[in-house]
Amino acid sequence: MRFPTLPIWSAKKRSVASVPKDKNKDRSQVRVGIPKVLNIWTTHQFWVGFLKSIGIESENIVFSSDTSEEQGREFGKGRGTVDCCYPVKAISGHYGELVFGQKKKINILLSPMIHSLPSVLHGHVVDTVTCTRVMAGPENIKAGFLKERDVFGEAGITYASPFVSLGDRHMVTEQLHTSLKDVFNLELEETERAVKAGFEALDSFTEKARKQSRDILTWCAKNQKPCILVLARPYHMDTGIGHEIEGDLQAHGYPILWLQYLPGDEDLMNWLFEADMQMGRIKSPFDISDVWMSSYSSNTNEIMWGAKVAARCPWITCVVRLSSYECGMDQPTYTPTQKIVEATGTLFFKFGDLDSTKPAGGIKIRIETIVHYLAKYSQKIMQQKLEWLSPNCPLGPLPAFAPPDAVQEGPAVAQQVHSSPS
Amino acid sequence: MAQAAQLPIITHYTAYKPRPFTREQRDETTILYGGLTWKHERMMQGALHNLKYKAEPLPNIAREDLDAGKELIDVGACCPTIFTTGSLVNFLKKEVNEHGKDKVNSKYVFLTAGACGPCRFGQYHESYAMALDGLGLRDFRLFLLAQDELDQGPGNGGGLDINMPMSLGIIWSILCGDLVTDLEYMTRPYEVNPGQTELVLRECVEQMYDRFLHRPDKGKKYGTLAWHLMSSYFTRALRDVRKKWDAIEVDHLRVKAKVKITGEFWLQTHEGEGNYNIKRWLESEESEVIAPPVAVWLHYLMHPTIRKLEHRNAKSKHPKVENLALHALERIYRGTYNRFRKALANLPHELPDQEELKSLAEPFYHFELRGGEGHMLIGKALHSYHHKTAHMICELSPYSCMPNTMSIGSMANVVGKYPDLLYAPIEVKGDAEVHALSRCQMILTEAKKRAQAEFEGVMDKTGLTEKAIRAYEDKHPETRKATYYVPHRAYAGGAANYVAHLAYDKGLARA
Repeated sequence: MRFPTLPIWSAKKRSVASVPKDKNKDRSQVRVGIPKVLNIWTTHQFWVGFLKSIGIESENIVFSSDTSEEQGREFGKGRGTVDCCYPVKAISGHYGELVFGQKKKINILLSPMIHSLPSVLHGHVVDTVTCTRVMAGPENIKAGFLKERDVFGEAGITYASPFVSLGDRHMVTEQLHTSLKDVFNLELEETERAVKAGFEALDSFTEKARKQSRDILTWCAKNQKPCILVLARPYHMDTGIGHEIEGDLQAHGYPILWLQYLPGDEDLMNWLFEADMQMGRIKSPFDISDVWMSSYSSNTNEIMWGAKVAARCPWITCVVRLSSYECGMDQPTYTPTQKIVEATGTLFFKFGDLDSTKPAGGIKIRIETIVHYLAKYSQKIMQQKLEWLSPNCPLGPLPAFAPPDAVQEGPAVAQQVHSSPS
Repeated sequence: MAQAAQLPIITHYTAYKPRPFTREQRDETTILYGGLTWKHERMMQGALHNLKYKAEPLPNIAREDLDAGKELIDVGACCPTIFTTGSLVNFLKKEVNEHGKDKVNSKYVFLTAGACGPCRFGQYHESYAMALDGLGLRDFRLFLLAQDELDQGPGNGGGLDINMPMSLGIIWSILCGDLVTDLEYMTRPYEVNPGQTELVLRECVEQMYDRFLHRPDKGKKYGTLAWHLMSSYFTRALRDVRKKWDAIEVDHLRVKAKVKITGEFWLQTHEGEGNYNIKRWLESEESEVIAPPVAVWLHYLMHPTIRKLEHRNAKSKHPKVENLALHALERIYRGTYNRFRKALANLPHELPDQEELKSLAEPFYHFELRGGEGHMLIGKALHSYHHKTAHMICELSPYSCMPNTMSIGSMANVVGKYPDLLYAPIEVKGDAEVHALSRCQMILTEAKKRAQAEFEGVMDKTGLTEKAIRAYEDKHPETRKATYYVPHRAYAGGAANYVAHLAYDKGLARA
């Protein structure tokens, strides 16, 4: 044992990057922090599966909290480098929280630059790449922590930002091995196994979530009840970015579906798009070339597809569109999505220019408006949309509609509407 | 499924798909295009006229185009989208007023570049389509020219045959346009007779138009490719340009801050109100502008390392052969550009090495991050810094530009590491000129000081005086010509390099 001189005693603990390779790769004590931002919202299970496979303990995989103004103030202040959309700007707070805000320090900050995404539309669109800002966000945020001094190094944290094409699975092993081999002391075979485990975890989670969405639709069909589709990007699930708008609507008794987890089951999709395919307008239910030619961006493609599904699915009587301030990817889709959704009388409400501050008053008033319209028109919308479809609904036999008055004044809806202050 | 035939069809918004443009309509139809400088567009017009197309560039962008664009497309668009859409809108409105909608629909088609990737640049045509809807001109035809395919064939009716002669004509006109533009910007700030550069430039561009117009027909495929690569047809034309340029008298001793323009593709290329005429404004503020060549962008698009990602899903049977071919193509491309430079006495700047740009940017911005200029903005800034080719970088970024904002953010890290790098990121909205120019002015003031200090330093070091230099120039009048080649030494400024050149290469320091 070395004599504990002052320099030895006060020296920083080694970060993982400096762990000697011959330490038999025990990673059970390694703590990895992941900023819960952007497309992590739909790919988190991949990262959990990947890290667990290489021996990181579950309790040592740390996600940052949901975005909040407090988080930004406390941990991200002074780290911003440019004015851009809030979902990207807010990442500074997440980085800061992982670096400065952990009782038990992390060793590695893992912030992937996700180039492409797995998508239900894969193979039916030109590409499934991510937004340019989302992809490059980590480089931009990193600058705020390195511009004056190396904040990560000072905190004994290894910063790792692998460039990864999750939508192109055959590339992932090589990409992650190249970028993470020195960070985790990874072998190629080990990386391959971890990538496989990551995708298994992601696929399993996504399948389960889609199944739950189908169950919601089945319940709606069985009871002839409406539901709401949220047409947004993955990070709008973050309560600090989407401002829990869908939660407020759910509190009024309306089930919520998220675009990212719409059921893509063949029977259901073929039923919804049967007429379009018969007519030759599209080649498959996932073909969006009739409405969007530049189908490069994964989330944009899905938004366009979701609008088409919403226009056809009888029980989706209302679409809530969320969009962040300065979103350049959403900008060209505003009019097309609204026109698609409203073509069948489906209600369309857009919450645009969302930023850091929750406009609580405005949201409340608009929620009341939405609930009012849902209560008043849902039955008519459902009946009308069913007329466009064949009677062979894959969600089961459809009961007859209740008399209009009974639906309009359904207990859950009526109660919420009446209890709202006018 | 038999029942489906009886199902009613849901009619909703559909993407714009142009009516066919047939071969028979070609003689009566004018192809509209735009987005580059008037020089590039005029030479491109020559290439298109040569192929018997009627072709006309849209009028240069004006401030009114911003308002017209804003009226018709969704809120929140970036200013290049708004300006270019507005430009088309204003042109069509004027034509409709004069000739009516039916005539406009049959008389014109619009050809624009389609970009791969997720940036809004790849979605410009969606905005155009929305504007056409707003104008009630859904029947107007708009076509996309893919940037990475030389031979796309006669698509959608055969009226527009994007074949090898057309693609090569367009690319060659871009290269020549770049080189002439480079000459223009390196000459005008030093011209002795104000306006002379402009006059000679116009003459040269017309001469190049004529060359493109009379380009010989060498077939549709490899014959024309071989001719473009081997023939001295264009180098002879460029040598004629150089001869005309000889006539411009310049004063190399004027001390100017050298400003390298980088930024979003459209904004950095544009010359006019779309970017507050910033290049001319910089010249009026005692600067020399290094204009960004379009050729760098094309080089980036074809560079094998950069393109690796584009081939991730390719099902080619011979990927290695294709990769080798791409390497060869990249070399040929650079070789062609250098051949053209040589015809202009090597005066225009060389294309930067893409590998070097990549490695310079690597610690700050991953080269595979797609969208806009990618890592090149950081790479170019550092390239210029390390090679001392400019005193400052002026990066033109559209308000809310997605890729640009990311590299500007990453530049904070670069500037932290290289605090003496003068960097002016200018956000362009189209209607906030004073604010933008004022921001640029702040950095420019420092750049001018550096240029002056650099000049005074080299004068002191060499012991030369202005009087001695003028006396030398009187004896050697070739040094007063715009085509006189001043080699780059250790200075960013032209005047400092000129003094060092006279001192050490011409022996004035000893004299």
